[in-house]
Amino acid sequence: MATNCRTAVSPFAYSVPPTGLVLLTGTQTLCKMFKAAVNSSLCPVVKDLRVFAPRCLSLSAGLCARAPRPKPRDVPQIAGLERVSYAARMHYVPGLAKPELPPWERGWKDPRQYRSPKPEQMELYKEKPCYIYNQRTNPLEGVRQALWLTKAKLVEGLPAQILSLAEDPANQIEDQDVRVQNAIRHARFWDTTERRPSRERFCPSLLHNLLHLCGGLQATHPGLARRMLADKYSLAASWSRGEDLFQVRGQNGLLLNCMSPLPALAGQEEIQSTADHVLETFYPISPTIDLQCTHVYEQKNSIGFREDYPYPHAHTLYLMEAGNTPPLYPEQLRAKMIMFAFGNALARARVLYGNESKVLEKPIVVQSVATNGRLFQFVVFQLNTTELESDSGVKNLAWVDADQPLYDFAKIRPLIKKKVVRVPAGLSGYQPDTFKKFLALYLHGAA
Amino acid sequence: MAACGRLPLQRLLSAPSPRLISSRHVQVESASPATVYPPVLPSRTAKSKSAKQRVLLDFFEQLRGAEPREKIRELTRVQRMKYVVYPQTFALGADRWYQHFTKTAYLPGLPDTFSTTAEPDQHLKTAIDDSALSELRSLVCSALLQENWYMKKGRTFVHEKQKRSVTPFLTNIVSALVHSLARTNPVLRLSSLDFDPQVNFYWVNGERTIPRGHRRGRVEPKWFQIDDKPHSQIRIPHQLPEFVPLEAEISAEVPAVQLEPDRLPLFRRQYDNNICIGAKLEDPYSYGHTQFHIVPDKFHRDRLIKKSLSEHIEVFLRANAIASLYAWTGAQAMYQGFWSEQDVSRPFVSQAIITDGQYFSFFCYQLNTLALSSFATPDNHRKNLCWGTESLRLYETITDGDVVGWDDNVLRLLVQFLLNKPQN
Repeated sequence: MATNCRTAVSPFAYSVPPTGLVLLTGTQTLCKMFKAAVNSSLCPVVKDLRVFAPRCLSLSAGLCARAPRPKPRDVPQIAGLERVSYAARMHYVPGLAKPELPPWERGWKDPRQYRSPKPEQMELYKEKPCYIYNQRTNPLEGVRQALWLTKAKLVEGLPAQILSLAEDPANQIEDQDVRVQNAIRHARFWDTTERRPSRERFCPSLLHNLLHLCGGLQATHPGLARRMLADKYSLAASWSRGEDLFQVRGQNGLLLNCMSPLPALAGQEEIQSTADHVLETFYPISPTIDLQCTHVYEQKNSIGFREDYPYPHAHTLYLMEAGNTPPLYPEQLRAKMIMFAFGNALARARVLYGNESKVLEKPIVVQSVATNGRLFQFVVFQLNTTELESDSGVKNLAWVDADQPLYDFAKIRPLIKKKVVRVPAGLSGYQPDTFKKFLALYLHGAA
Repeated sequence: MAACGRLPLQRLLSAPSPRLISSRHVQVESASPATVYPPVLPSRTAKSKSAKQRVLLDFFEQLRGAEPREKIRELTRVQRMKYVVYPQTFALGADRWYQHFTKTAYLPGLPDTFSTTAEPDQHLKTAIDDSALSELRSLVCSALLQENWYMKKGRTFVHEKQKRSVTPFLTNIVSALVHSLARTNPVLRLSSLDFDPQVNFYWVNGERTIPRGHRRGRVEPKWFQIDDKPHSQIRIPHQLPEFVPLEAEISAEVPAVQLEPDRLPLFRRQYDNNICIGAKLEDPYSYGHTQFHIVPDKFHRDRLIKKSLSEHIEVFLRANAIASLYAWTGAQAMYQGFWSEQDVSRPFVSQAIITDGQYFSFFCYQLNTLALSSFATPDNHRKNLCWGTESLRLYETITDGDVVGWDDNVLRLLVQFLLNKPQN
C-alpha cells in the first residue's frame, strides 16, 4: 500500500488496467473506483485529470470505468543519435525535443523548502527493520501483545502488599471520602465558567487534585518528600525478541521519580515459577502488528534524564486519556501502560547492568496509573530479566487491575426517562476503593 | 391707621394665657409618625433622567436581599461594551492607570508581617528551622536543575522557552512546597491547588459621556472586565487575616488619571460578563491564598531591555499584580454577597508571586472597598491597598549541574508567603 498517496491518478497512465478496477461491481460509483485506483500500488503522478478524462455517455453504471490512458512509448537512447533539444535556444521551440535539465539547486538552505533524502541515503539507515512502540501506537491485540513483547506474565488484581497498604487506616487522609468527592466535583463541575468543563480540562484537573490530596500526607509520611514529578520527558529503551528489534520511544505521560527504588513485590519462588509459564501468542497475527516499522533508527537506551539526576528511579507513570490524543480503548490503554512501564524499567536496568542480557538479582518495579476522568487502570510491572530474545526462562510480571470506576455518574442535568429520575444531577455512585488503591500506589515505597 | 390698631400676634400667642394654651399646642403636636401622604417619587416610565435613576435604584433595592448567586447573575446578565483590562500588558505606565481603575494605592515594600531583611525573622525561625529550610532549598534547586539541566529536552521555538522550562519548574515547586509546608501550616492541607484556573471580574468605575452616535451626549457608566489565567493558585476555606484595619488611614494616594481609558490603550468589546475566583460558587474553598503568575516570553526582561523599555519591567509586574489580585479579591467578595451597593464589611486579602523563572516579585493585596461608583456610598473614602517588592533574583546562572549565585532571602520570602494562615 502506497503511503500518503495524495496525488491524482489518471487511468490512462496504465498499459494494463489495475486489478482493482476490474474486480469492482456495477454498483460501485465512479469516485470509489477512482479511490481504489489512487490507493493501488501502481500510482504514477499525473498533473491534471480534466483534460484526459473520457466522456462516459452510457446509461448503465457498469460502464463507468475509466479506460486506462496508454503509456507513452519508451524512447530508445542511441549514443550519437540524440534528438535535438531546445536547451541551447533557452525557450520552447515547436518541433524540438524537451531537454533533460539538471535538477535546480537553491544554493542556500531555506528551512521552509526542505526535502528529506530517501531513507536509504540517511546515515542511520539499517537493513534490519526496527519496530517502535510510541505514544500513538494502538496495538490490535492489546494487553496480550504487550505481554508477549515484554515477555511478561499477567496477574489479575494488584499485589497483596499494595492492597494491604490500601486497607491500612494509618494511610488514610482525614475526611478522605468527603475530600475526594469535593475534588471530583471541582474537576467535573466547578472548574470553569461554562456549564461543564471539557474532558481535556477535567481529566488532568482530576488527576492533579487527587495528587494534591495524596501529597498532603507528607506530614505523616516523610518519605514522600524524596520524590519529584516530571512532565514531557522522553523515554528510549530497546531490546530484541527472537529475530526482531523493538524499541519504546517518546513522550508518554507524567512520571513520578523517586530517590530510592521500589522494593520487589514477588519473591524468588514466584519469579522462578514464571519460567513454566508459556507466553500467549495470537497466530496468525504477528506480534509486531501496529508497531511503527522503520529502517532508520538508533538503538538508544535512555531514562530521559542525565546520569547524575538525584531522582533516578521511576516510581509511577500517570497516563491520561483526555481526548486530545488519538483515542484508545481501555484494552489498548492498558497495553500502553505495560509497554511504557516496561520501557522505564528496562532503561533503568540498562543503566545499572549495561546491555548484557541476564536475570536481575534485584528486580526493578515500576507502577502505572491511567485514567480517562472516571475509569482508572492500575498496572504494576516487575522486570525480572533482560533475557528477552528467547521465549523460555524467567518471565517478567505484570499485575493489572482494570476498569476501576472512581464514580458512576457526574451529571449536570439529571437523566429522566419516562418522567422518572434515573440518574440524579451531581456526583453519584462514588466508589471509595478506587481512591484507596490510587493512594496505596502513591504511598508504596514510602509508607 | 390699621397697622397701629392691631395687636402684635406673636406676643399674643407666646403669652402663657390659659385661654390660648390649648389652641396654641394643636399645631405643635401635629407631627405624628404616620405620614399622611406617600413619598413623592419620580416616575418609572417617563423619558427622564430621574425616571431612569429610579428604575436603577429599585433594581438595586431588589438585589439587596438576594442570594449571592442571584446577585452575580443579575449584575452580569446584560452584555454591554466594556473595557477589557489585560493584567499582562505592553502599555507603558499601565500600573498607574490600573490603580486608577481599581482605586488601589500602591505601597512599595511588604506589610510588617513579612520581613525582607537579611536576618531571618523570629517568627519564621520558630515556624521552620534551618534544616527544614535547607531541605526546601535543595527541593527548589532540584526542581530548577531538573528542568534546565537533568531532563533531556529538544529545541523549541524562541517564544516557547518559558512554557518549556519555567512552567514545569513552577508547577513542581508550588506542589512540592505546599506539601512540605503542610506540616507547619495546616491550612495548606485543607487547600485546593488549581492549575490554569480562570479568574474573572466585572465592575463599574466612573462614567463617560457617549461622544458620538445616536446616543450622543448621554452619560453611561464605564464597565471593565478582567479575564486572567494565572499559572496556579491556592484557595482555602477561610479568609486570610487583614494586613491593616479596614478604616485605617494610609498616606499613599490613588493616582487620578484624567484621560479616558481608550488612551492607555484599552479597547472595548462585548461578550459574556463573568465573575469567577477559579471555581464556581458551590466550591467550599471560596477564599484565596496565593496566586502564581509567569512572565511570558513577550515580556521577558531581556526582550524589554533590548527594546529599551527597561522601566516597563517593573511597571508590567505591578500592573499584573494589581489587576489580577483586584479581580481575585473582588470575585471572592462577590461570592460572599458583597457588591458595589453593599460594600465589604471586612477586608479581603490575597497574595501573588510573579516570576520569570529567575526573578521573583512578591505582592500582597487588601480589598477594602468594592464601591468604586456607588449610589449608596457616593463619597467613599476607603481605598484598596497593594504592597509589592521589586523583582528579586533567586539565582544567577546554571552551569553544569550547579546553581550559581543562590539567594536565600527570596526562598525565605516565598516560604513566609506560603506560611500565612487564617486566624483560628
